[in-house]
Amino acid sequence: MIDVATDMSGKHLVVTGFTGFLAKVYVAMLLEHVPDIGRITLLVRPRSKRLGALARVERQLDTSPVFRRLRALHGAHLGRWLGERLDVLDADIERPLCGLDTAALERLASADLMLHCAGLTDFQPDPLRALAVNVAGAVHAADVAHHLGIPHVHVSTCYVAGAVSGDIPEALSLGVSPNGTAFDPDTEVRALQLACRRGDARSSATARIDVALERAERLGWVNIYTYTKGLAEHLVAADGVTIVRPSIVECARTFPFAGWNEGLNTAGPLAWLISTAFRRLPTSADHRFDIIPVDDVARGLATISAAALRGQGEGVFQLASSDINPLRFGRTVELTGLAMRRWARKGGGTGLDQGLLRHLDPVPANTPGPLSVPRLRRWAKAARDWVRDVELPEVVEEAVGDGWREPLQARLDDGHTQLTRIDAMLKLYKPFIEDHDYVFCTDRVRALQATSGPFVCDVEHIDWRSYWVDVEYPGLRTWCMPVMHGDKPPRDPPSIPPLSLQRPEHLQRVASK
Amino acid sequence: MPTPAAFFRLEGVLVQRPPALAAGWLAANAQHVRGRVSRLASVAAAAPFSLGLGDAATGSRLTWMGLRGMSEDRLEVLGEEYWATWLAEGLRPAGVDLVQRAKKEGFAVVLLSDHIAPIARHALQAVKADHLIANRPELRNGRATGRLVDPVVARFGGRPLRDFAAANDLDLSAARAYGSTAADQVLLSALPWPCAVYPDRGLRRVARDLDWPVVEGA
Repeated sequence: MIDVATDMSGKHLVVTGFTGFLAKVYVAMLLEHVPDIGRITLLVRPRSKRLGALARVERQLDTSPVFRRLRALHGAHLGRWLGERLDVLDADIERPLCGLDTAALERLASADLMLHCAGLTDFQPDPLRALAVNVAGAVHAADVAHHLGIPHVHVSTCYVAGAVSGDIPEALSLGVSPNGTAFDPDTEVRALQLACRRGDARSSATARIDVALERAERLGWVNIYTYTKGLAEHLVAADGVTIVRPSIVECARTFPFAGWNEGLNTAGPLAWLISTAFRRLPTSADHRFDIIPVDDVARGLATISAAALRGQGEGVFQLASSDINPLRFGRTVELTGLAMRRWARKGGGTGLDQGLLRHLDPVPANTPGPLSVPRLRRWAKAARDWVRDVELPEVVEEAVGDGWREPLQARLDDGHTQLTRIDAMLKLYKPFIEDHDYVFCTDRVRALQATSGPFVCDVEHIDWRSYWVDVEYPGLRTWCMPVMHGDKPPRDPPSIPPLSLQRPEHLQRVASK
Repeated sequence: MPTPAAFFRLEGVLVQRPPALAAGWLAANAQHVRGRVSRLASVAAAAPFSLGLGDAATGSRLTWMGLRGMSEDRLEVLGEEYWATWLAEGLRPAGVDLVQRAKKEGFAVVLLSDHIAPIARHALQAVKADHLIANRPELRNGRATGRLVDPVVARFGGRPLRDFAAANDLDLSAARAYGSTAADQVLLSALPWPCAVYPDRGLRRVARDLDWPVVEGA
């Protein structure tokens, strides 16, 4: 059984992806619950000359809600306290050895573990970008760990399982794709790179996406994200490497506080969609919706990291809920409707939300009904064309004038655009919400973890009703949906003076190119 | 040592709205719009029983039959909404005052309700009562079957009352009972200190005949 606090005490971790959703929670949790941790070195890419890696990290520490607890705990001394535990290196995972030069690598000589969390989580990104970040980035991080001679923990996703249903074991068959095709990952990466540089794909991201999707589907992956994450697993898997696969990472249950979320997660767009006038979500009601709160992932990851430090972390670990406490899509849709109803009752939304929509519950629909999105889209287009072309009888034209035509056409255009976007989104989600019923096995982490304490990933006892209605939906409303509307999610006000890591002299930052 | 108990009927003593309205409201808020009408019809079929005609237990069963097929999630979340929207603000002052006095005097306060537990549970928290006896919808695979789990609360007394007292270490020999309608006679007659609170015509007549105290206001 792993005791994270004892195993991590005095240890030096190297972490990528700190500015992302998961790694921030992981680092904050370790800092709070293992205050005698030796050091955490964050490999962060400078955004620009003005906003270097250190400045990015300091801004996160100062204004991200994840660090509220630490800020409250240490007050004005936080900069110094963190300076003794955190180090920041300019890095770029897209470059060999993450762009670290000799001096920077020397700074990491005392490291005990490498945790690679950085990645691109869009379902359908430009494949070249996905290759650079998800595949090359993973390989470069593994190279750093190999160079330093330390255990490497690679964070992947459960959905590398691809287009399959049923039990997904915690295992990786090297060189075998999800649909059972034997393939060489190096050759596949090169082939994809070449394909993305030929013909239309050279100049068009859409063409590159089509090319990559075709290759992904041929091997049994459902989108570019899972394809590139899957390729990365095959490339980094070697003796001693730990692969951690979380399922869909969602709002925190308790740490840093209930409901915290960042960016666009999987459930956000779905919850938004069925909170609108769109009432029928095409999904299979009995299929499992495998979500796991981000703090439970961080707990599981801490346990697995500690196991890796002990030399017990080799192989694949899945962090998921579908095998021990499944939440099904039918229930999720109903809970979302109930949560939206409560939100509107308490004053959220518009008059339409409060007066009408909250009384019309969303339902799962596995057959396209009369109001399916493609059909509505066709109607909107037909209506727009009719409005554009119709010639009213002279008497009517004189009575109403021509001022109605343009605004109505614009509204129908807008509706058509929205429906096109929704249709595209539903196509992206289809493999996960409609086609496949995944059951991710999670025995390995449960066998490792302690029975109590701050690092217990207790997915088994999540009360989904309470989580969804009291935590997840309000969390999505606060942290995720503003992003979907083009707004910035709330951040904490920066402290005055702004927080800066006050590092002891012997730990001065090494900037590397 | 057993604690003396004070039994309060939720309907009438603490809240005014009858359970049939709650059942109707829940039926009207079923997930599928097309199912709402048939559920409402089912609740309406119980209306004569709500008016005091026929057996109260049968009336209760019929009233809540419209919940058939509704999920436990829906009953719990809507139960909280119904309480907050329709009942919480209208707690009757005399009833609340009597509960507080009973608690102050060391009685264990037991609420009895014809409402289903997902609604009545919030009354328990609101008045800080100690126990709740409410109708419980029977659930199978997380969905209501349309039946109530026995015993149905409508006419609570006799053996179920004694069993409940024994299970919770309550002393019935000095117990108080507060009711509001003629249907509460079973409970009021079973305990040594009955009291009619905001009584309806039937209970007022019984209270006068049997010389029970009557409370009309705070």
